[in-house]
Amino acid sequence: MNASAISVPHGHDHGHHDGHGHHGHVTLQYQPGLPLSKGKLIMWLFLSTEIMFFAALLGSYVVLRFGAAVWPKPHHVHLSEPIGAFNTFVLICSSVTIVLALEAARVNKVGLAKTWMLLTLLLGTLFLGIKAYEYQAKFSHGIYPWKPRGLIYERPDLYYGSAVRARLGEPAMIDRLKELDDTPADQLSTDQVAARTRLQQVRKMVASPDQQAFDLAVVADQIMPLPAEGAAHAEGGGDGHGGHGGGLNDVFPWLRLPIVIPGGNMWASTYFLMTGFHAIHVLVGLIVFAILLSYRLDAKRAGMIENAGLYWHFVDLVWIFLFPLLYLF
Amino acid sequence: MSHPAHDPHGPVTRPGETADEALEHSAAHDHGDDHGHGGVGKYLLVFLALCGLTTMSFLTYSPAWPWRDQPQVGWAFMMAVSCTKAMLVVLFFMHVLWEANWKYVLTIPAAMMAIFLAIMLIPDIGMRNRMVSQERALHMARASDVKLLEKAAEAAVDAAH
Repeated sequence: MNASAISVPHGHDHGHHDGHGHHGHVTLQYQPGLPLSKGKLIMWLFLSTEIMFFAALLGSYVVLRFGAAVWPKPHHVHLSEPIGAFNTFVLICSSVTIVLALEAARVNKVGLAKTWMLLTLLLGTLFLGIKAYEYQAKFSHGIYPWKPRGLIYERPDLYYGSAVRARLGEPAMIDRLKELDDTPADQLSTDQVAARTRLQQVRKMVASPDQQAFDLAVVADQIMPLPAEGAAHAEGGGDGHGGHGGGLNDVFPWLRLPIVIPGGNMWASTYFLMTGFHAIHVLVGLIVFAILLSYRLDAKRAGMIENAGLYWHFVDLVWIFLFPLLYLF
Repeated sequence: MSHPAHDPHGPVTRPGETADEALEHSAAHDHGDDHGHGGVGKYLLVFLALCGLTTMSFLTYSPAWPWRDQPQVGWAFMMAVSCTKAMLVVLFFMHVLWEANWKYVLTIPAAMMAIFLAIMLIPDIGMRNRMVSQERALHMARASDVKLLEKAAEAAVDAAH
């Protein structure tokens, strides 16, 4: 750190201490270039690079999204606002607990500081747990950021139709479908019986030589309907969507038929990139908290806790912008 | 002892003391006789404000929201709420409100660069769909596709009834 020396003639003191310098004629006093400790300065420099890192991600998301012809609604990609809002709440709580840990450590309340720190760690873990659950919901619907696992097609066109046909024509699939057709109706639930009839119609429509453009939209709607706006969306399908009992992919998860989400591929890329990098930052924060918990959290460690807290608040800050941009827009 | 934020020269070291030690020293002093900032009550107040603001984002979903057919109004509202929340976190939880002027040196250039970065993406990325190749036009989703899918969903509902 930059230190400048001020020479003060003996006897002419600024009035802040002292009892020193009785022997020398000149007392040198040093002051840092910036009135903050090295650790904090480095943390703030790091955070300013982080601002630009996340600004690049968020900025490209906004620009990609508003430049796109079509962008999926949150319900189309199985995002649940209440879960996102709850996660926001969890992160805000963890920001408070880390601040309280710092306050406790400053006044040497070691036990209290440890308790708040542990609570922060638990809240951060809860956040990651909920995030993992949300990722699982996307994966189970075939929403991945890449092929071949990703099942997303942009539009119900001929390419989509042939992808459905190809999937239905796989040898293992043919056996499985035959098995389903041969199963007596009393061994299936009413939902499954209805879905089996719909699946047979879909198979006929996809293979039909005089197929209409609209038929493929019907096929896509049967396989995974896009929930209407305003319809209460129950996670995992059920009777939530309009007239039919969930998409075929929901009733028979082994089908894994291609689905249509207009704009879904770009959505998946940006969603997983942004929330993924955010989750990595949360994970790093949790490791830091775990390390801090092994120390005696007294006033001497207040600087360390403050720096960890600064980082954690920044992670919270990023989520404050991610939540409305992803879940509510 | 005065607070660092109000002391134009920052804490002064004594002979034989490093700059960091001096800061620790002054920080310890601050909390000895200065309760001008922080305080559990203030943090809890900020926490309540943050929770309230998060709930406010959902106002755009309520039936009473008058601009339902203009999503841009809702977006602007939600971004205003987010910026308020961000300001609260930065000012109180990150203690920026009580920091000396170095805070501007570190945050303002970074924020400006961040804004420039986003603006610079607009010509190539934001306007990518103004002129597209035939290849892309063939495969990219359009609003008409969403209409088609909605029509199919309506047909399915009608068939079920």
